[in-house]
Amino acid sequence: MMGKNRPGLFFSSVSSGKRSLVEIIIIAVLCILLSFYMGKHRVADFMIFCITVLSYDLIYGFMGHLTIGHMLYFGTGTYTAALFMKWVTPNPILGIVAGIVAGALLALIVGKLVIRTKGATFALVNMAFNYVGFFLVAYAWGNVTGGEDGMPSFTGPLGSFYLHRHPYWFFFVLFCLLLSFYLLKHFSASPFGIMVRSIRYSERRVRFLGYNSHYYKLVTFIIASSFAAFAGTLTAINYGYIAPDYISPLRNAEIIFANLIGGIGNIYGALIGGMVYMIIRDFLSIYVERWELVLGVVLVVTALRFRTGITGYIQKYL
Amino acid sequence: MIKERPEARGSAFGERHFLNPFHNTIGKVDFMAEIIATEGLTKRFGPLTAVNKMDLKIEKGRVSGIIGPNGSGKTTLFNLLSGYFPPSEGRIFYEGHDITRLSPQERVKRGISRSFQLVSIFPRLKVYENLVLSVLRFKENNKGGARFYFCKVADNKELLDDCMQYLEMVGLQNKANTLGGELSYGDQRLLEIAISLSLKPKILLLDEPFSGLGDLEISFMMELLHKVKKDFTIVIIEHKISKIEDFCEQLFVMSQGSLICQGEPCKVLTNVEVRRCYWGEVG
Repeated sequence: MMGKNRPGLFFSSVSSGKRSLVEIIIIAVLCILLSFYMGKHRVADFMIFCITVLSYDLIYGFMGHLTIGHMLYFGTGTYTAALFMKWVTPNPILGIVAGIVAGALLALIVGKLVIRTKGATFALVNMAFNYVGFFLVAYAWGNVTGGEDGMPSFTGPLGSFYLHRHPYWFFFVLFCLLLSFYLLKHFSASPFGIMVRSIRYSERRVRFLGYNSHYYKLVTFIIASSFAAFAGTLTAINYGYIAPDYISPLRNAEIIFANLIGGIGNIYGALIGGMVYMIIRDFLSIYVERWELVLGVVLVVTALRFRTGITGYIQKYL
Repeated sequence: MIKERPEARGSAFGERHFLNPFHNTIGKVDFMAEIIATEGLTKRFGPLTAVNKMDLKIEKGRVSGIIGPNGSGKTTLFNLLSGYFPPSEGRIFYEGHDITRLSPQERVKRGISRSFQLVSIFPRLKVYENLVLSVLRFKENNKGGARFYFCKVADNKELLDDCMQYLEMVGLQNKANTLGGELSYGDQRLLEIAISLSLKPKILLLDEPFSGLGDLEISFMMELLHKVKKDFTIVIIEHKISKIEDFCEQLFVMSQGSLICQGEPCKVLTNVEVRRCYWGEVG
């Protein structure tokens, strides 16, 4: 009746499930190939960063709320996992779960306070909370968290299986990245995802469709923060050492840069942006002492010439 | 907390009624004379009184028009009725219940839907995606608040069919996969109307639906409104009086925040005060 204009038939030759499977295989193959060239530990680090960027994109790209406080949840995940594995059980899976739960609970509390704000207020209030978290970890609770020096993060075996050793760890992080990608992609294509994108364009209209936009913003905030905490827990295990740097508000800029480079409001953009940013950072720092200058130039060019990021530019010419 | 309007209990409203948001499920118990009423409704913005002690009664099942010069408070009245902002004074009753302090979303759930003076769609969503939330809103109410949001839209045939049904109603079915912002202005207006209709409200508030449209588009829009008017109570704000003169059964004229005249369109439009206020005619 409506031919190709009918929604849902756009990829009639390939079902959405098969399409997702193909994408997941491509991402997995690329990460594995990259690990041969750059090393498993480094690529695992890249993949964890990609999960963080994916989570950030949910708030900034999809919901349209710029925040400068996302590292609070990343750091909460990092510290909770490390402290949990030190004081409760060295089981890494339980450490990861504890970190995610802590991130979600904190996001619930902070979210209740910040979600009614928007624009610069939203960004700055989140940053203020991030600073509070940073100072608590680095100074006030220094005797527990190791203060400015940080502390080692001990990961125990799962029975006789050492998850945190390569290549298991590499594949586990790869699985985590693919799972995050799949879940967030599914989320973005669901009515809830449409709701979140609608809030970005007109929150007023959403309310006049009979929805309490604050509730959906809060749920999105909690989901995004939980994924950030998830990435934080992986970092604690990946490095075996945690420091206040992982909760530093200054590091929010890295996530925002990666998001902008890849293209905001786009799941693929978050992945590509995360990878490109990490490659620039790792490679440039070998050859250029002040590599941040080059990154600054890349950002200026992106902002002025490629506003939709790498993915937007690619999609335009595909 | 919704308070019942004291007068609503009397026989003036016929038999007992239910606060059911679905007009088409109410059946024979719905004999209310007025669907929306205001008492002393006032809105002040600093020293400016945009709506001044207005007593308005919109009759159920009829098409009512609100006209008035620019700045007479028509859109402010809509904003008050739809809950965009609270009144400074006065009360609003919907089906006999006080809804003055209800949020916009609560009013939508009870069956009040509106369009905006400036087109309000989601420009970076596809046309069919623009309808997903409103279609789900109706389904949710109908199923008693069941919320399942994480299914993939493209895999949900029932949801897509519902969206397409409304797109067909406004003639946009062939543009379902286009981005909302890429539609022409007239099509965006139609999409906005489709969104409002898909909420299946009891009362539809249309704020200048013809603004910016050409004659052909206005004709199409009028045809559409004529088709659906039997299903809703419609209140329409419009400057193009000639276009709604025959469409409306009741006309309200506002000036400087007050209601200066109301009644049948042919009588209202010959009223001396209305002509002086609206067209500047004297005598």
